[in-house]
Amino acid sequence: MAAADSSSAALRRRDLCSRGIRLAGKMRSDVIDLLDTYVERQGLDASASVAVVEGVPVAAVERWDEQTGTQRLLENLAAYRAFRALLAQMLEEQREQLGEADAALGRALAAVLLQVSAFAYHLEELLRLESRGLPSEEGAGPPPPSHLGLFERKLWGLGVLRELAQWAVRSARDLRQLTKPSPGSSLAPSPAESP
Amino acid sequence: MWKNSSLRCLLALAILCLRSLIYSQEIGSLGHPQNLKCVTHNLRKMICTWDVSSKGRHGQTDFCYTTNDLPPPVCFKTKEKRVEIPVPESSSMVTITTNSISGTAFATKEFEIHKEDIWFVPLTPRILSLTPDFSTSTLNLKWSDNGSVFPYGLGAFWQIQILRKAAMEKVTQVTYYSKLTHEDIILSWNWTSDMPLECTSHYVKIRCYINVTQFVGPKDWSDWSPVEEVPGKDTEPNGSGVFPQDTVVAVGSDVTICCVHEEGQQIKRMTYGPEIYPMIHLSSRSSAIRVLNASASNTSGTNVVCILSGDEMDGTVLFVGYAPDIPQNLSCETSNFLNIKCTWKPGRPSGLYGKRRTKYSLFERISGRNVSCEVNEMNRERVCGFPVLADQKTYDFILGVSNPIGQTESSLVVDLTQRVHPKTPEKLTVSGNSSTSVRLHWFINGSFAEIRLLCQIEIRSGHSERKLHNISMPGGKFSTYTAQLNALRPYTKYHFRVRCSAADHFWRWSDWSMVEEHTTLEAPPTRGPDIWRERSPSGKSLKIFWKPLSLSEANGKIVSHEVSCYVLETPLEYKEVTEPSNSTEIKLGKNDCVISVVAKNHAGSSPPSRITSVELPSDNVKTDRAVAMGNGIYISWNSYPNMTCGYIVKWCHSSGSEPCSVDWQKFPSNTTDAVIKSALFRPGVRYNFSLYGCQSSGYQLLKNITGYMKELPPKRAPNFTVEETSSDSILVKWEDIPIEDCQGFLEGYRLSFAKGEKDALKPRLSESGNPELKVKNITDLTKKSLKILDLQGKTSYQLDLQAYTAGGLSPPNSLYVVTKEDSVGLIIAILIPVAVVVLLGVVASVFCYRKREWIKETFYPEIPNPENSKALQFQKNICEGNKTLKTLEMNPCTPNSVEVVETRSAAPKIEDTEMMSPAADTTVPEDGSDSETENHVVVSYCPPIIEEEISNPPTDEPVGSSQVVYIDIQSMYQPQIKPEEEPEIDLVTTAGYKPQMQLPISALKIESRSLAEEELDKTAGYRPQANTNTWNMDTPDSPGSVESNNENASFGSPCSINSRQFLLPPKDDEDSPKPSNIGWSFTHFFQNKPND
Repeated sequence: MAAADSSSAALRRRDLCSRGIRLAGKMRSDVIDLLDTYVERQGLDASASVAVVEGVPVAAVERWDEQTGTQRLLENLAAYRAFRALLAQMLEEQREQLGEADAALGRALAAVLLQVSAFAYHLEELLRLESRGLPSEEGAGPPPPSHLGLFERKLWGLGVLRELAQWAVRSARDLRQLTKPSPGSSLAPSPAESP
Repeated sequence: MWKNSSLRCLLALAILCLRSLIYSQEIGSLGHPQNLKCVTHNLRKMICTWDVSSKGRHGQTDFCYTTNDLPPPVCFKTKEKRVEIPVPESSSMVTITTNSISGTAFATKEFEIHKEDIWFVPLTPRILSLTPDFSTSTLNLKWSDNGSVFPYGLGAFWQIQILRKAAMEKVTQVTYYSKLTHEDIILSWNWTSDMPLECTSHYVKIRCYINVTQFVGPKDWSDWSPVEEVPGKDTEPNGSGVFPQDTVVAVGSDVTICCVHEEGQQIKRMTYGPEIYPMIHLSSRSSAIRVLNASASNTSGTNVVCILSGDEMDGTVLFVGYAPDIPQNLSCETSNFLNIKCTWKPGRPSGLYGKRRTKYSLFERISGRNVSCEVNEMNRERVCGFPVLADQKTYDFILGVSNPIGQTESSLVVDLTQRVHPKTPEKLTVSGNSSTSVRLHWFINGSFAEIRLLCQIEIRSGHSERKLHNISMPGGKFSTYTAQLNALRPYTKYHFRVRCSAADHFWRWSDWSMVEEHTTLEAPPTRGPDIWRERSPSGKSLKIFWKPLSLSEANGKIVSHEVSCYVLETPLEYKEVTEPSNSTEIKLGKNDCVISVVAKNHAGSSPPSRITSVELPSDNVKTDRAVAMGNGIYISWNSYPNMTCGYIVKWCHSSGSEPCSVDWQKFPSNTTDAVIKSALFRPGVRYNFSLYGCQSSGYQLLKNITGYMKELPPKRAPNFTVEETSSDSILVKWEDIPIEDCQGFLEGYRLSFAKGEKDALKPRLSESGNPELKVKNITDLTKKSLKILDLQGKTSYQLDLQAYTAGGLSPPNSLYVVTKEDSVGLIIAILIPVAVVVLLGVVASVFCYRKREWIKETFYPEIPNPENSKALQFQKNICEGNKTLKTLEMNPCTPNSVEVVETRSAAPKIEDTEMMSPAADTTVPEDGSDSETENHVVVSYCPPIIEEEISNPPTDEPVGSSQVVYIDIQSMYQPQIKPEEEPEIDLVTTAGYKPQMQLPISALKIESRSLAEEELDKTAGYRPQANTNTWNMDTPDSPGSVESNNENASFGSPCSINSRQFLLPPKDDEDSPKPSNIGWSFTHFFQNKPND
């Protein structure tokens, strides 16, 4: 009976991971499109380098292959919760600055925000499956960029979207890593793997 | 000691001398006060200053002055060379006495100061504050006018200078004017910089000039105030950024944007949108670009980016747009007396969105209420609501419009009762239990108690026009309104909808309500049906027909018809026929009765329709034709005075296999013609009409009429056959066309004929354009046959037969007939030529027989006479100068020696051995050794034995092949022919002959010949000219013509094996292609003659 439960949980986890990978792929594709739209509508140079933006979680990580599965999920969840708040802020910013003038950009932003929320929920499901308590969302919100000038806020938005695109890639790899069978712990890392 | 004392004395003396010198100099110098100058700052007191010529030390100065020349003078001591004394009204005497340090006066001078000499210079103004507004790049300057010290009403001019950058470059200088009010007033002045104040430091200083007209002395500007500074960001230790930050400017503005960076950084470039702009150096930490005539930016603004060293960047966003346009078509109305809705068109878009968008506010002047309007930027028409105020009918609206660039407004005064646009009526219901009236109810969401409403009801029914019914009614507060509609048709489905407006002051209709459907109740049919009756052929029963009532007459759904038969009000028979039947049959026997038909629906019965069954006898009933009208059938009849109750035209529709359905139409008695129309009429169909007259006693058949609605061409042509054919005539017969195929009244037949073979691809005769086409038109319809005459014998003819009506020609039926041969003509045609030939033959034979000696002498002498030889003449001509014929050239025209190459030749030598055989030149030996044969002079001869020659192998005896005897008959008999014509003649002459001795070569050439023939040739030693292969081979184009295509004219005539006589005379050469048997016969004839 316990074996059956374990097998069912493994199947469920595998299923969730597969769907998560698909979600991440779709999200990345949409974020890339959104980036194009954003750069064009905001009159920015697509090659503009943006410094590390305060409050935006960074996808790059050292010793990725040594992370445990739970650690991966927790980092992903924290990142997407942060992105959820950041994108909501971008959406609000866009409405404030452009009103109804650029509905297409607003719709695209809202669509990505929805995907980020869905992905965060998906990660929560995976963590629940591992019988892990979900971390609280306190402190997930980034500092408001109201002190910045409008140009800096445009660059800030660009930085958020670029980092989100990076995260979509990392999340897909993280989830793929989780689907691989590993000895011992169900979510233990495979040391040889690297993103 | 002495020395000391004397030195002391000398020193003391020197000191004394020096002191006395100094003193004497003080006393003795000019030392007088001079250059007294008096300046007033406030017109009441003046400051006088002077100079003292000596620079030596002096003590206090006694200064005395008299005011207005009135003694006593006012005196006081002063240590300075500056005193403040009152300004005299006209002049003042001033005495200045300079005292020594010890107090002794050593110089005194008097000055007279006139008022004209006094300068008026206002006090230096003091800047109270200089406040920058960085967001608007505006400097606010405040200073006091010091007006309290001046009389009221003086004009003051303030000169303000703006300086920029550390080098204090003058940016602008303006003069500000004010009036002094005898009070100290703080003046304020704003200046907007064309460059953001953050870009670099700005400085301000001020001075003034007071225009005191009553002051007679010279006046001057005050000194400049101390400079006040507004430091730029480039002076702050960590100050950086691109300025102005996120501002809005008008389209067409000139904008300066600067980039301030930290110490140690460098600006690589600055871009405005996608373009790089040249930079203006402001300071070591600040540079600027200047954008002239800025164009409208996109929705997210135009980015201005400053690229710094180290690929860092800073930037700002500039929004370039338009000031708001004046709102157009401002209009306000109410739909419910609760809210006023104002709409307008915004005009030119500002190009600014979001928080910088154009904002609208509606201000009502009478009530003083103001509402801000939330409008959709992307909507072309803007809407703003304002609440209806109690006890206020008139509203004076001002629509204020503003955006960061500017503002404007538009106003409108409205009487609200004249601007009512009710909301769409809702909840429309229709009720009623009548066949002609209904009640409508609807609700309008609004308070219209103060006005009357005009409501419009649209009535539509399936078969009638749209009708509008207007109703005026008092308005109510959120009320349901009711209206009654009468005069509707029974049993009719109606569609109703409603809209409303203000009745007294029409402004706008509301939208239409939803459509509501209602069907009125049924009513009894308004009239009885239109009826007709027909007796059965047996006469025992009567069939009664009726037409269905129209919708407007039926007033409901007809469920049945009651049919009764009365004789003197006594019912004989009664039948109720349910729908949809429209006829019934009753058995009457031989009796007659009055038939009554009543239509019934659910609401009741119609009035009865009556008709008598009596049919009056009629005799001599004619049948006429009707006229096709295209859309109907025109029939006419004579007036029958006896027909008192009109006429009935009855006809029958037949469609396919269904029984004929009776139809009829009634006409009043004064009518004598009618166009019968029916949707069932079809073109090309024959209809039979019966005209009945109506009398009180019954109906009488007056006339039968047939006709078409539209005549069409017959469907097909009549079938026809050929009954009889001779060498010059054809008899054709045809059949009638069935009535249904005629499609009209048949008017005749058209028979076309022309010569022609049967060919599936041939067009119709009428379309072929054949010039020999003949047409016969047969208008006598009783005629069923026709004989076509004057035809040619043994000739194929095509016959087309068509029938025609007024609608046109039918398609044709075609036949092909070959006329018989004319045998008599044929016999004559054969016999006459035969007879002529025989006759000519006989005449020629007789002639030749009688003149045989002469002919022989002339054409075939035993020994030819050279003088008569044309061949020799020909040679002579050649020798005389024709160089072109190389093969016949006998240079130098000396006779060649004769070489006998065949010793066994039995032929005797002849005189023409000089003649060089052309064949010797042209015949190519088989072994190719032509050197010998070319110079051979060959004796013409005909070898008697051929077989031996043939048996010799050609390789052993190549010359053997050249033993053929060729006689140039052509040159012999036609020497006059021009050389250039020869080849052509050669073609003709060579075509008729092949040398008999050339069998081996000929055998090679004639591949198709059989071995048996070859054997025969060998034995015969001759190939007859009749051999067509031989003829053909000698055509110039054939391979054999290579041999014969030279000047060898000796092919012109055959040579007999046994004689030297020519077989064909030269003049016949041209006819050589003729059948050779004839020539052969004649040759034989002449040859055999002596034997005869």
